[in-house]
Amino acid sequence: MTRNDIKELIMEIIADIDEDADFDSLKPDQPLRDQLDLDSMDFLDIVMELRKRHKLQIPEEDYPQLASLDSCVNYLEPLLKDA
Amino acid sequence: MSVPLLIIGSGLSGLAAAIRYARFSPDVLLLEKHARIGGLNSFFHRNGALIETGLHAITNYAEPKDKKAPLNQLFRQLKLNRKDLPLQEQIQSEICFPNRESLLFSNDFNLFYSQVVSKFPRLTAAFDQVLAAIKAYDPFRARPFISTRSFLSDSIRDPLLIDMILCPLMYYGSCSENDMDLGQFVIMFRAIFLEGMFRPRGTIKDLLDFLLNHYTAFGGKIRLNSPVVKICHKDKKVSAVELASGEVIECDHLLSTIGYRETLRLLGQDTSHESLTRLGFIESIFRLPVSCRQELPLDRTIIFYNQADRFRYERPHRHVDFNSGVICFPSNFHGIRPEGYFEIRSTHLADYHSWKSLQSSPLLYGEKKRESSRRSVETIEKITGNFRNNIVYEDTFTPLTVERFTAKLEGAIYGHPRKFKDGLIGYGNLFLAGTDQGYLGIVGSMLSGISMVNRHILSAL
Repeated sequence: MTRNDIKELIMEIIADIDEDADFDSLKPDQPLRDQLDLDSMDFLDIVMELRKRHKLQIPEEDYPQLASLDSCVNYLEPLLKDA
Repeated sequence: MSVPLLIIGSGLSGLAAAIRYARFSPDVLLLEKHARIGGLNSFFHRNGALIETGLHAITNYAEPKDKKAPLNQLFRQLKLNRKDLPLQEQIQSEICFPNRESLLFSNDFNLFYSQVVSKFPRLTAAFDQVLAAIKAYDPFRARPFISTRSFLSDSIRDPLLIDMILCPLMYYGSCSENDMDLGQFVIMFRAIFLEGMFRPRGTIKDLLDFLLNHYTAFGGKIRLNSPVVKICHKDKKVSAVELASGEVIECDHLLSTIGYRETLRLLGQDTSHESLTRLGFIESIFRLPVSCRQELPLDRTIIFYNQADRFRYERPHRHVDFNSGVICFPSNFHGIRPEGYFEIRSTHLADYHSWKSLQSSPLLYGEKKRESSRRSVETIEKITGNFRNNIVYEDTFTPLTVERFTAKLEGAIYGHPRKFKDGLIGYGNLFLAGTDQGYLGIVGSMLSGISMVNRHILSAL
């Protein structure tokens, strides 16, 4: 997957969690939590969707790496390079 | 047979837990003792009519736009859409202490607030103080028991108002006598007064079918008529459960929604020494033709009443304590128009042991049941107006009935007086959800199932 594919994937997963999520003004280097009003339950959903779709196992200590769109891409790029 | 996740009990907490897990993996099996799902919230058919049990009103009402509200979190976590499940708000409800005071409340908190300040004008500042404390309190932080009664009496110097505030909160979710933990109080105050009450447009059966279809569409599996008789374990780790049929099902994780003591029993532990009081209830259902609906209050959804000097929420020393109770009009919700017949339901505190002593004599038991139903009618008619001559069908459930159909020991619908907030009872892969985990009410119990799956099972996968 390219960096852009990963970005699309994350946004698709979030849109699936919250159909009203507004991506137009999303700053990729800022925390998703504040901008999209996500809570820890929603982050668990993102992790579980990644697991379901791409068999990715993300340990709990790595959750902070999913804070912003950019950090998600950085973290997932090596894991999804063959996807 | 072996499954990664086994859930015992298909009440609302078990169903919610099962759906939550099935969303990500279909390898989950839900076991139900009875022929029907729903647990405390179920139904039966009589004379061609569907009669609901359990559900009065659901607390925690929230508008769809209020994303952080428990109700909407529940929908989101289970991937349910509010559009698929129309919810009807209450009209208004009442806390009625006859010959003393009455307070109305609705899903608009301003009504309750204005009632309190107009009827207890000297206590306005005190009530404001309590409200500010409730709004600031974090009920989910772990801390030792704090007495709600002493918290309230610090500011509200009138036992009548304290009793009136506590009456609905205790009846709709307290497992302990006369007092409640402050955290539980804050949760219930928000759920009932600040958020409000509603019900699904359809019957409880429609709601259960809707949830079950959602679950099976994710690939989740369920088995009815499958009572668990034993939980097999070694070195504080569960390996399997044994069904009444003798079949053994292995599992990696076990989630039990049947209650703390009920679970310990399956683990083979002796629980007979436990002496904590469990609160039992008696409930009667009266069915009436809609033609007499006009003679009864149409603008009351639930009435919580108390006619004693002080409100006593405790196990009575006789079969039933009629001094207080709950009167529910399931057809008095916005947007609900009963056809043909409607129902009135009454609930009072009851003593399991008094009823148990009649069990060996069906004649006396039946007689006591009829007498209790008659006295319930006499008591609530003083508040609602007369309806006894129009009853076409009635039924009464004692704590024994509740125990039989819900498997809650002593028919204690709110379970064990101690709660296990983290769901842990000393076994590495066994977790409690539902009544004894501590989130009560329908929304609460469903969130209990969800949060236990999130915390202990999904995040450990």
